[in-house]
Amino acid sequence: MKVYIITGASKGIGKATAIKLSNENPNDLFIILARDIKKLEETKKLMHANAKVIAKEIDLSDTPAIINYIKYVGEEYGRIDYLINIAGFVNPKSLLETTIENFEMTYKINILSVFVLTREVVRFMKRTGGKILNVASTAGMSSRPGWSAYSSSKAALISFSKTMSDELEEYGIKSYVISPGRCATDLRKLLAPEEDPSTIMQPEEVADVISNLMGIDGNNLDGQNIIIRKQL
Amino acid sequence: MKKYSLLLLSGGIGTRMQQELPKQHLLLFGRPIIIHTLERIDELEDIEDIIITCPKQYIGELDKMIDNYNLKKNYIIIEGGKTRQESVFKGLSRINTESIIIHEAARPFVKIEEFKYLIDSEGENVSLGLDIPFTVLKTKDGVISENLNRSELVNIQLPQKFNTSELKEAHQKAIDLGEEFTEDASLLLKYSNSTVRVIKGSDYNIKITTPVDYKIAEIIYKDYILNEPS
Repeated sequence: MKVYIITGASKGIGKATAIKLSNENPNDLFIILARDIKKLEETKKLMHANAKVIAKEIDLSDTPAIINYIKYVGEEYGRIDYLINIAGFVNPKSLLETTIENFEMTYKINILSVFVLTREVVRFMKRTGGKILNVASTAGMSSRPGWSAYSSSKAALISFSKTMSDELEEYGIKSYVISPGRCATDLRKLLAPEEDPSTIMQPEEVADVISNLMGIDGNNLDGQNIIIRKQL
Repeated sequence: MKKYSLLLLSGGIGTRMQQELPKQHLLLFGRPIIIHTLERIDELEDIEDIIITCPKQYIGELDKMIDNYNLKKNYIIIEGGKTRQESVFKGLSRINTESIIIHEAARPFVKIEEFKYLIDSEGENVSLGLDIPFTVLKTKDGVISENLNRSELVNIQLPQKFNTSELKEAHQKAIDLGEEFTEDASLLLKYSNSTVRVIKGSDYNIKITTPVDYKIAEIIYKDYILNEPS
């Protein structure tokens, strides 16, 4: 039985990914994480009935909670095969309106929590090999006035993921990073409230790509920023 | 299965590397050199426990590293001696198994298969070694005094395997006579009747000692460990 950890699984890309992966791997264990336990339970209900699913309420800005929980998972199940970091945070403001708290929270969720999760998971994953996938954004690849905290945190995530690909290679751990373009999520609504979500890429389409990368199709695609963008 | 203790010498303080950090603490592709070495040793089923000798000021840091990398074996870190020989002797006092493997933290490119090859090799006292592909001459007062027949010479490598009590006795004799050695096969040869077999080592099993070694190490890591073209 393989063990998956998926963050941000209460909605959007995380929810779609949890459902997709459980349908394709119904004999595996899925640990889905988010702050909103009610929505996580809804995700769980939509996942494959045979899959073992643990819905865990966790605040990814709470570093000690992450460390303690991953230690528990690693010791309880003896392995962690897949870590899929999807949770994200944005509060778009201009430079002069961006508070320290906003900037810190953006970095805590979008990069610090990924670092902590990766570090703690690798303590176990290094024995078995595995795959780590981080969801960055096309916003991390170019200038985005008004989104400086978000876009720079995603740029950091792209760089971190590439470095992990090299640093963890000897352990048989593959590190992936994807940068979705416009995708119909709650986070996107904060960035582009006027946009009609039905006209842009859907979370399920990104989940399809993640599922492919987690399978054998992911060979030779690690360590490079993969852009996922719907061509209009 | 016969169990071994492993004595890992991590006593250098980096003078030849011209670095403030001991060479075995320098990063090699993101991880300290000593961690590369320990992660391989940690996978060896034949090894029961590992005694590491290191400078006193680095004991706490090394202990933390072992925890950070989630290494599973029983690690005992002790202060090394003033010399390599003294460090080995201090380490030997903590060994309870019949046989011991001695290795150096600054040799991170020994694969698990090579440790197993050593462990499974016939004989109680065995060292890895390589032929010498260059000429070695003796000098005296700055002039060449003697040619050495290189076909009779060997470039000794670690790891080495020894009978623990024979090596302890030999070390005690060396101490009593005030003799200094830079490795243990020669010490054992001088102070016991034991034979030390030599089995073929690897060109990749370099000891990272100088800045040039450190540069070469990156290439060896990519080429030999990761199997990537340099």
